[in-house]
Amino acid sequence: MSDYGPEQFQKLSAECERLKKELEEAKASSEAKENFLSNMSHDIRTPMNAIVGMTALAKNHIDEKSRVMDALDKIEVASAHLLSLINDVLDMSRINSGRMRLVEERFQLGDLLHEILVIVQPMSDARGHEFVFETGTIDRESLYGDPLRLRQIFVNIISNAVKYTKEKGRIRVGISEETSGDTTVLIFECKDNGIGMSEDFLQRIYDPFERVHSSTISGIEGTGLGMSIVKKLVEEMRGTIQIESREGAGTDVFIRIPLKSEVLSVDAESIRGKRLIVIENDAGLIEQYRRYLDETGLELQCVGSSSDAVSALAEADYLGNTVDGVIIGRKLLPGEDLFEVASYLKKAKPALSIILADNHRFEEIEYRAERAGIDRFLPIPFFRKSLIRTLTECLGGTGREAHGALSIPDLSGKTILLAEDNMINREIAKEILSSTKVSIETAENGQEAVRLFSASEPFFYTLILMDIQMPVMDGYSAVSAIRAMERPDASSIPIYAMTANAFAEDIEKAHKAGMNGHLAKPVDVNALMQLLRRFAE
Amino acid sequence: MLEYQSRYVENTKQIMRLLSEPDKDLSDFSGWSKRLREREAEIEALRKENTDILSRELFPTLDRLYEADEEEISGMTEFADKLMDWSVNLDIGVYVLIHDALLSLARQKNDRDRMIMELYRLGMGYYYLNRALQGIDKKETARFYFRNEMLFTEAGSYLKFFPEIDNEETKGYIIRSLANIAITASDRRKRVAVTSRILKIIRDPYYRELAPGLPWDRFLRSSNQQMSANRIMLSRGELSPSELSEILEACVSVFEPEKNQENPNIRWLWPYYEMQYSCGFASLQTTVGRLEELIDSQPYDQYDMSGLYGNIQLPVYYGALIEKNPALLEDAHVLSFLIGAYDKMLKTVTGFPPEKYDEYFRYQISLIFSNYYETKGVRSYREVTEELMKRLFPREYIEGRRVGELMQTISSAIMRLEPDFFDDIPFIHEIRDPEEKEKEVLRFAGDCGLYHDFGLLKMNFSRTMATRNLFENEYQLFTLHTIAGKEDLKRRASTSSLADIAWGHHADYNGAGGYPSEYVRNQSPYRMMTDVASAAVFLAEKGEESFGERIEKLFREEGRRFSPMVTKYLSDWKLQEKVEEILCSPPLSYEREIFESAGNSL
Repeated sequence: MSDYGPEQFQKLSAECERLKKELEEAKASSEAKENFLSNMSHDIRTPMNAIVGMTALAKNHIDEKSRVMDALDKIEVASAHLLSLINDVLDMSRINSGRMRLVEERFQLGDLLHEILVIVQPMSDARGHEFVFETGTIDRESLYGDPLRLRQIFVNIISNAVKYTKEKGRIRVGISEETSGDTTVLIFECKDNGIGMSEDFLQRIYDPFERVHSSTISGIEGTGLGMSIVKKLVEEMRGTIQIESREGAGTDVFIRIPLKSEVLSVDAESIRGKRLIVIENDAGLIEQYRRYLDETGLELQCVGSSSDAVSALAEADYLGNTVDGVIIGRKLLPGEDLFEVASYLKKAKPALSIILADNHRFEEIEYRAERAGIDRFLPIPFFRKSLIRTLTECLGGTGREAHGALSIPDLSGKTILLAEDNMINREIAKEILSSTKVSIETAENGQEAVRLFSASEPFFYTLILMDIQMPVMDGYSAVSAIRAMERPDASSIPIYAMTANAFAEDIEKAHKAGMNGHLAKPVDVNALMQLLRRFAE
Repeated sequence: MLEYQSRYVENTKQIMRLLSEPDKDLSDFSGWSKRLREREAEIEALRKENTDILSRELFPTLDRLYEADEEEISGMTEFADKLMDWSVNLDIGVYVLIHDALLSLARQKNDRDRMIMELYRLGMGYYYLNRALQGIDKKETARFYFRNEMLFTEAGSYLKFFPEIDNEETKGYIIRSLANIAITASDRRKRVAVTSRILKIIRDPYYRELAPGLPWDRFLRSSNQQMSANRIMLSRGELSPSELSEILEACVSVFEPEKNQENPNIRWLWPYYEMQYSCGFASLQTTVGRLEELIDSQPYDQYDMSGLYGNIQLPVYYGALIEKNPALLEDAHVLSFLIGAYDKMLKTVTGFPPEKYDEYFRYQISLIFSNYYETKGVRSYREVTEELMKRLFPREYIEGRRVGELMQTISSAIMRLEPDFFDDIPFIHEIRDPEEKEKEVLRFAGDCGLYHDFGLLKMNFSRTMATRNLFENEYQLFTLHTIAGKEDLKRRASTSSLADIAWGHHADYNGAGGYPSEYVRNQSPYRMMTDVASAAVFLAEKGEESFGERIEKLFREEGRRFSPMVTKYLSDWKLQEKVEEILCSPPLSYEREIFESAGNSL
């Protein structure tokens, strides 16, 4: 038997304590894992049961289309829920195992917030909430961090506010910055007047699978993992999250995340002296326009309606003043259609630059926007630099490559064949086309167009613009002759009709003759530019 | 005017005459039917000629408009003016096309006086074109009115430079345009605000002195009338005291002098009574009594404006008043008066001499389509509208019946192999007996065919379509017939089952195209019948393609535009033969239905 001195005893006792603690931790961890698995299996089974059950039901009633449809709708909802649950579990697993790697890349705060609004605004609208987005001091728009994960955090918090606030509630989201050196702390706040949380629940809010009420009782869908992920992501980013809430009174979430930032200067010189009209009814946004453009030397006129914009343009026109651009804002008057406004303004003043400031996803409205003559898209929310950058690109004649730019395409190095018998129309078209730096060859009738095409090297022409009614040979015959040629580009050369023929059938006839499209006369600058943009690359 | 312009005007007048030609002999069906066909052939020949004239002559002229001289431009303006008469519009589409081009020219030449005039004229053109949209939900039509409003707004903006503009005529266009913003604004409060502003301008000696030659008193009268049209707002509690008093003042200035006449015109008297009711000066009972008196005061065969107003518009208002205040029906007299008033209304419509057809009569008919009140005891909307189709829209009636027959033939082939094909339709699903079920499906298919283009009747596109091919901008309006039809049919129990077919028959099967985009096939229990309608309407379309080419095209569009569940039946050559036979045979039985109803009073 060995003797143990007090020192050894102390060591042994400490070791015992450590082992005991580790055992407890292991037990707790095991218990947590068991709970997690138990919750998981319940949460996965619930939508799976719906999918299995509804599939069987649909099969049993395959001839009753309305029941099948109803079952498919339910399967769709359950599948979407299951997918989000799986994504959240994978995220949790990555975070817990230390496999979550945050990227650090440069991003624009405006773009990030626009993407967030695109997601949460429709959710909020669907529940009839009053959704207010406020921006405080923003010094740095160009930040470094993981924009995807930041979006995940903010969308999660806002969508919780949307879900846990009774219909027609109020949600206020604020964003601001505190900058010191090259570090900017992004401050996010989301406040709602929803159902709120008890103190007891607040203690457990970051635990997996915790929800204010059971989703089956409250009817609120959610994986129950969102807040755990948010907390871990914020911590990974060295940020803090704080939640204040009272049952029945609402919830206020504060997040602070330090990010590297950089100072980017924007040269507003090219917009000095330009005139801009903004159609907007949102007082906050009007204030922003005024504040951001205050020292640029740009002449700004804010109007509350499209009618006022038309009046302002007519007035400027009468006084011999040129208005360079119009921003069509987010909040128009009831009955005003933004695409109709743009279309009318562009038709009346083809040289006017039209910018759409909106919180839609640009890709969703790009087609209609182009058709209506909108030159540029300014995502909301915007900040000083993004606003000035958009304006300099649009009004100041600099860089046109940025996302959302719809201005004059660069067709240098390409050749267009223009067949038009009328000298004045030819000159007008050449004038419009010249801004694209394209080479233009002209033909005065269809026969000449056929001859020029036939004499050219294959793929020499990028595009043919063809008048329909011409002497010697009309446009339809000329196109048929070109399409019938035996050369590699005969069937592929894009040919567009330019005609005053206004019948709906004329468009169809142009297609039948082998034309790719139709442009109405008198030539609409906007429509022609829209066409040319396709050939710019 | 140039020769082609005179020819176009004459052709169009002739088409209008043919469309309104009274039936001369109702004793012999074959003679009547022969004349009907001759008339159709004449209209078709003129329509083709008109379309050709525009393609050959007008479009090339517009193409070269930038080098046109003054004489050509004034000739073009004269041509446009001949086509837009305030009482019978011959061709608003061409009027709009010409003035749109003339506006572009004025802008191009920086000719401000002409630009303001063209803004006004184009605005008026669009205003009349947009009349086709009357009675259709505002959210669907707002963009068309908005474009119209912008034109007047732009012209009116030059008021600021009134003292500096020399041309008095231009000043007149500025004032008229400002006033007309009110007739295009979709929001009534805006109408009140705009009219209130123009009234102040018209009364202001400053402007009067700057253009003494303008008919200021006429402007004042018209603007007061415009303001009085907002009387409906008096009882809504949305207006400020000053807005209320402006409307009341306008009502008094317009209606009081008329009311005090020895024989007051009912077209002024009813608005006066209506104003009194809206202000609370007269009770509902008193107002109903006054309305009854006015309706009784007009003999059914009085076809001038007052007669049509008293015999059509007022009974429609009477129905609308009951619809808003259903408690009125507790008094048996009210229902019996409504029945009588509607009978008289239909008698007036039936007896209306077709050669007198004008914009006012057209408006009255659209009121019936939009506002007929269907309730227990009165003739159903279904019965009334079918009769109106026979009497006033025989071409559409025959076309609808033909589509209905096609739908019945296709449905019958489907039912033979798939008896539960249409079981999503609740009232079909309920029928257990197969024979009964097929009978009901075929009856319903026939009705769906007849009513598929119901919205077009109210929009009055038939006259334009008889005159020439539609222009692109008219086509945009035309597409709304699906929504117009759906709205009116859905509102009445007797026609609600037909609404989805009117709504969805131009929408693509796969939801990717067609119109209207709001129609979601999978959400409609009537989708199978709508699929059948889409195919039948496509096959029945008149065009230069042969039947074989149509069928080929139908299969090319299978799965995209047309339902494969329907097209698979159409691949059977026997069914194809039957369909072709229907399309090629003269529609004698439908003509007979029209003939038989022609001599009878409704």
